[in-house]
Amino acid sequence: MDDFTHGFEIVEDQCRGKLACLRACPTHAIRVRNGKASLKPEFCIDCGVCFSVCPSGAIRPTTLTFADIHKYKFKVAVPSPVLFAQFPMAVSIEDIVRGLLSLGFDSVWNYSTELALVDRGIKEYLENWKGPYPLISITCPVVVRLVQVLYPGIVDQLIHVQPARELAGRVLKRKLSEELGIDSGDIAAIYISPCQAKTISILKPAEGSESSLDGAIGISDVYNHILADRLARKKEKPKDLSDNLIPDAGILNWATTNRHGRYLSLHQYLSVTGLRYIIQVFDDIEKGRLRNIEYLECYSCWDGCVGGNLTVDNIYTARSKIRRLLEELPDSDPELEAAVKRRFPHEDFSLNRRIKPRTLGEKVSSLEAGVKRMGFEKAVKMNLPGIDCGLCGAPTCDEFAKDLSWGRANQKDCIFFSDKSLRELRKLYRAKSQ
Amino acid sequence: MAEKLLTRSYKVRGGDYDKAGEVADEIKKILKDLQIAPQLVRRTVVITFEGEMNMVMYAHEGTISFVLTNEDITLRIVDTGPGIEDIEKAMTEGYSTATDEMRMMGFGFGMVLPNIRKNSDIFNIESALGNGTSVTSIIRLNENG
Repeated sequence: MDDFTHGFEIVEDQCRGKLACLRACPTHAIRVRNGKASLKPEFCIDCGVCFSVCPSGAIRPTTLTFADIHKYKFKVAVPSPVLFAQFPMAVSIEDIVRGLLSLGFDSVWNYSTELALVDRGIKEYLENWKGPYPLISITCPVVVRLVQVLYPGIVDQLIHVQPARELAGRVLKRKLSEELGIDSGDIAAIYISPCQAKTISILKPAEGSESSLDGAIGISDVYNHILADRLARKKEKPKDLSDNLIPDAGILNWATTNRHGRYLSLHQYLSVTGLRYIIQVFDDIEKGRLRNIEYLECYSCWDGCVGGNLTVDNIYTARSKIRRLLEELPDSDPELEAAVKRRFPHEDFSLNRRIKPRTLGEKVSSLEAGVKRMGFEKAVKMNLPGIDCGLCGAPTCDEFAKDLSWGRANQKDCIFFSDKSLRELRKLYRAKSQ
Repeated sequence: MAEKLLTRSYKVRGGDYDKAGEVADEIKKILKDLQIAPQLVRRTVVITFEGEMNMVMYAHEGTISFVLTNEDITLRIVDTGPGIEDIEKAMTEGYSTATDEMRMMGFGFGMVLPNIRKNSDIFNIESALGNGTSVTSIIRLNENG
């Protein structure tokens, strides 16, 4: 079986068995036994909903700590465009860059050019694509994993063009090692991430065999420092940081959810945010119901990456901040455009490995056995109360019936079948509340 | 004939746009549960959805029956609709008798029957004016079978 590392971990000691994660998980990947949550790793798509709803703080994102980062010789921060939308207007982009440098980063990489390059890469890929449609963006790692787990039939429609952050990691190592004469192995590209899902796409990429980035730190981990740094320095004359600053509005467009609307007409392009809506649209794709759409951009978080679970500001103020920044910046920068034109023919956007469906759970030995299991599942379901209380440890009665049919659970786990189970649960949760 | 492992039958009502797609969802769930290869699932689901949609658009009512054997999946899409006057014409891509209203709602691109045929390994259609239409579509489980 594949080895799965995930974007977060469940800290067993802290888990109080409150079932919030169990109920929230969109792929039913969590079970709670003896008051402790555990994961069926092959079903986890790293969406982070469990992390957001856990009332006990028992689910932690596996981002890096600063101690991890300091072991590298030359550290480059690669901030997600969402970072710039997190602060009050009084904190300028320059302040944010300065804050990152004072945190110990040796450089901050603005990947406007790589974003524009990837835009073009996508456009070209679309033009050469013969179908089936729509092609689906792989910017959001959760979407990639959702397709691998629940929609294996459309896995070939995930667009095989590297996400811009990956291209940025590769380019910055090449450039900085040339310019500064450092071995590229000594350069660490650290993504400043709005969500833990992008961390896992770096540690355990589904999109390629190896990430060009070396790790990620959450926006929430750098937020306080950047603000404090800004307050401490307010009187100091700023030194020239122009190399690090953002030349045009392109990068901020990437923090919005309508990145490709600019060159794809609305008939051919859809932007979908929020996992439950993405699931509806994917169901329609499988039925052949979504016609005439050529490209789909999907973001697991509602309203896109500004809604990521490692962001600080609420999505509405963040969005308004982006709009104001967009007004201040020029639409395009001639220098950036020239760089894109020059570099485009030489840039390789391809993924270094095909994205494949994930192998899930047990294999049915034969079609007959599968039909028999399904019949058993149906019969069991009829006897269950259908109230989805979650006390058996499975999120729904249907899921419990499935677990039973695979021999992964015992009917007595259901309190409707066993008074003993109820007594044990009572004991367990009373003890926990004391 | 191979032994029937699983049979299902679903009623579809004409004009019920709201529910269109539910049979396809149901069949998709069964096939995924049985771990049928994703591409076969997709073809079966597309056929079911097109058949369902066609009935909702044109027929009074109909049935979709699903039979699974070790060798193949058979879908029979039978309706009591108006029937098709010229089957050959109806099988042409882009040919459609959809009303403007249907088209405005995004239906009736004249791809339904061609699409069902394209996704089937064996395809058969029988229809007579006033006597409804019956489509049989077979998808082989073993690509070489």
